[in-house]
Amino acid sequence: MRKILEVQDLLLRFYTYEGVVKALEGVNLHMIEGESLGVVGETGCGKTMTGLSILSLTPSPGRIEGGRIFFQSDEGWVDILSLDEETVRRIRGREISMIFQEPNAALNPLLTVEEQISEVLIQHRREEFIKKVLNAIEEDLQKTERKALSRAFIYKIEKKIYENMLKNPKSLLVRVFSKTPILRRYQNRLRKEVRREVVRILKEIKIPDPERVVDMYPHELSGGMQQRVVIAMALACNPKLLISDEPTTNLDVTVEAQILNLIKELKSKFGSSILYITHDMGVVAEICDRVAVMYAGSVCEIADVFEIFRNPLHPYTKALLESIPRPGKKFKSIEGTVPNLVNPPPGCRFHPRCPKAMPICAKVKPDMVNIDGHFVACHLYRKGRK
Amino acid sequence: MELKHYIIRRFLLLIPTLIGVTLLIFAVIQLFSPVERAALYIRDPRQARDLPGIIKKYHLDEPVYVQYYYWLREVLRGNLGYSKSVNMPVLDAILNFFPATIELVLYSAPLIVLLGIKLGVLAAIHKDRAVDHLTRISSIIGWSLPSFWLGILLLAMFYGQLGIFPPERLGTEASVYVNSPNFIRYTKINTIDALLNGQLWIFIDALKHLVLPVTSLTIQIVALIVRIMRSSMLEALNKGYVLAARAKGLEERDVIYKHARKNALIPVFTVTGILLAGMLTGVIITETVFNYKGIGYWAAHAATQLDIPAVLGFALLAGVIFVLTNLIVDILYAYIDPRVRLG
Amino acid sequence: MWFRLGIRRFKREAEPTIRELKFSLNRIKSSPLSIIGIAIILFFMAIAILAPVLAPPPKGWRDPYMIPHEGWDPTPKPPSAEHPFGTTQHQYDIYYGCIWGTRTAFYVGFVVVGSGVLISLVVGSIAGYYGGVIDEVLMRLTDIIFAFPTLVLAMALVTAFGPSLESVIKALILVSWPSYARVIRGEVLSVKQNDYVEAAKSIGCSDFRVIVRHVLPNSIFPLLIMASLDIGAIVLTEAALSFLGLGPPIGFADWGQMIAFSRNWIVGPPGDPYKYWYTYIIPGLFIFIFVLGWNLLGDAFRDILDPTLRRR
Repeated sequence: MRKILEVQDLLLRFYTYEGVVKALEGVNLHMIEGESLGVVGETGCGKTMTGLSILSLTPSPGRIEGGRIFFQSDEGWVDILSLDEETVRRIRGREISMIFQEPNAALNPLLTVEEQISEVLIQHRREEFIKKVLNAIEEDLQKTERKALSRAFIYKIEKKIYENMLKNPKSLLVRVFSKTPILRRYQNRLRKEVRREVVRILKEIKIPDPERVVDMYPHELSGGMQQRVVIAMALACNPKLLISDEPTTNLDVTVEAQILNLIKELKSKFGSSILYITHDMGVVAEICDRVAVMYAGSVCEIADVFEIFRNPLHPYTKALLESIPRPGKKFKSIEGTVPNLVNPPPGCRFHPRCPKAMPICAKVKPDMVNIDGHFVACHLYRKGRK
Repeated sequence: MELKHYIIRRFLLLIPTLIGVTLLIFAVIQLFSPVERAALYIRDPRQARDLPGIIKKYHLDEPVYVQYYYWLREVLRGNLGYSKSVNMPVLDAILNFFPATIELVLYSAPLIVLLGIKLGVLAAIHKDRAVDHLTRISSIIGWSLPSFWLGILLLAMFYGQLGIFPPERLGTEASVYVNSPNFIRYTKINTIDALLNGQLWIFIDALKHLVLPVTSLTIQIVALIVRIMRSSMLEALNKGYVLAARAKGLEERDVIYKHARKNALIPVFTVTGILLAGMLTGVIITETVFNYKGIGYWAAHAATQLDIPAVLGFALLAGVIFVLTNLIVDILYAYIDPRVRLG
Repeated sequence: MWFRLGIRRFKREAEPTIRELKFSLNRIKSSPLSIIGIAIILFFMAIAILAPVLAPPPKGWRDPYMIPHEGWDPTPKPPSAEHPFGTTQHQYDIYYGCIWGTRTAFYVGFVVVGSGVLISLVVGSIAGYYGGVIDEVLMRLTDIIFAFPTLVLAMALVTAFGPSLESVIKALILVSWPSYARVIRGEVLSVKQNDYVEAAKSIGCSDFRVIVRHVLPNSIFPLLIMASLDIGAIVLTEAALSFLGLGPPIGFADWGQMIAFSRNWIVGPPGDPYKYWYTYIIPGLFIFIFVLGWNLLGDAFRDILDPTLRRR
């Protein structure tokens, strides 16, 4: 089983009025094909930024200043951060896609469901659909009788346009036709093919009555449905890696359960790898194979999900697990507050709140060590100790 | 709700709004003395001699609501009074001068809309760079220039010094020809009529005379549109669906024009309502400065002559136009933004 | 003792506001355009205040706002030692007119906006607070006024009142208060929802007290911003009305009117087309820069205070 993603020493800084926010300070993690990796941590620890960095979509004034993000794309094992924009665009939506926290915000209120999903399809699977259209045109041509010359003529023109679209999408013929009002109707064939696929995808995502939903606007759908549409958009091109950024945080528990089941199903059916960002350990326990725990801009611990719960090594992970409220147990929270990322504590960023802090923790940032597949970044476990 | 239902509802709302407009005008009328008010009902200066008769006929000595009824009745019949400054009934004056203004608006509006949107989008996309600063500064300058001053400066430069773009609607020769029986006035819009009559030289002459007023009008209003388009575009670019669109791997061009701009155009539509107000206001000044004889010129001229029926007739007309165009804008808005249709 | 306690509490409560204010001031300092705007306005204020010194009216002249003129020669004369900006039609001194015109501009701007704000405060807060029929009626009224473009309605009103500076001011007030009232009403409506209003009412505060002490202070801020931005537009409209001849009497120190005088002199004799440039360029510059100053300030305010655009 090979790696599909490897993030090495990712460094992200935001240059703001209040100072330089050191958002990500040496993030290290990796993913194997077909697994789902949960990324957990408190709000502000950098989980979302890590996800956005993988897609090279960090908002300004943020700047990635160091590190590499390797991905197993169709073109081989590449460093996403070193690619030019056009190449990255080909990866986005097709090989790696992302689901956002607020489905409402991710959907354009002025476009129907069909329009938004077909966008992705046309962008990345164009040729496939054009070929289908050409086949359909051929069939139609065969079926027309000798006498229906005008219809045959129209088909021949359509065939010409679509062949052109295939070979040279920016050709004059295509451009003229797509801008002129009546001539634009040639696009109907493509729309039909794409629409069929959209409906099929919606069915896969278990959206009821897809034929109707396809023509609806986002505000006409419930939160759960909207999120399903967002998932449909993300999966439309069968991506290798799906980044989900807290997709169920804004939904009711029952809807959340449905969505989680859906994601589990899709994972087993399509074999996609999932990077699941969340702050909810319960969700992690349910659907993740491995877990990465983040704190204040770097990864503390990565391990198999059972391992993490049974044998958490990093003090932060331990504290996190202990703070999960359980009936009968006294409520325990972690002392102190999340550090200010403009002036983070030196050395290990957790040391001011760590019950096991040692003098070295305030000076040197711990490297990540591998203990039989269980990764920890903590001086308690550094080489030579334990 | 369906778009159709929304349209019907808006149309129904039209009636009370128009009534409101008439009420306001009527309220302004009440500020005048009865004698002055009488001038609103006559179509012919000779009728003015029979003052007591007029007062009786239109019930000007009776309570306000009765007066309102009779006044409204006359208005709906087309009797808006007599404009002494141009020696013709108000309605005739409107019909006479309106085409000139339409011609002016015809050439200015598309320019304003296209330029405004294009520049606003450009400024937003290249925020804080040269294009943005240039556009914003020009827009602030355009917004601060007194309209009449801009017109005067343009006149001084292009007419006074260069002599290429003259004021008024037509040169003397063209004027004479246009008023002769050889020239058929289909629309009273000189450029169109000239083409319809096959007289190319008149078409060019009319265009030459239009350049300065159109420029003057455009500069002021574009300034406003650019500013609003820019801020609405900036807002749209920050929205979640723009990030989502990028994450889908769409070309940047699609992200900007298909997603951000489409949403950004929404407030611009409402601003188009303000655009209309700007036009109706702008033509008053612009037409006056350039001696361009459209309704703006007529209204301004009438105001200085204290030609009350003319001023009020113009105000009424402006109000009605404004209300109607807002209606159209609202419907367009509902067409574009499906959320609005929920009512 | 109460006083001291009050100050301490005020300081504590105001702390976040003061911090935000400092941030805003910082933003203002770093925006060159807003500094230019402030500088322009201060410059004009200085001129207005120092008018009697900069352009003293001749001895025995009754109304300093009437521009002195020597004779009735219709041809404008170029700038000279006696007339630094030259004279316009009928020998009105342009320098004098522009200096005293600054006072007119400020007067019109502040009176119109000030009155508009006061009226709208009353109307808007009543409409927003009591809601119901009162609100509906007031909203319809503002709707109707909005149905007219500003200049058109102002023109009709000035004609009705009889052209004069006071009529212009009255007309402009009538035309501008509705937009402020709408803003106040909106703010009042949103503030009304707050718990502390409920709390105040529940302990028996009279409606008036609730409005004045709780609702208004929170709603006034955006209104003041809007109003100060408007000063530029108001002065432009007033200048336009004067230009059309619907403003102060002839010879009054008003920028718009001075440009109206220049209309016959825009095109000079052939060979020297810009001969009478001083009749229109100078007063025009005064208006332009004055309005520009307010607009720059307003734009800067908007950029600075708009919460979505604030950070970065």
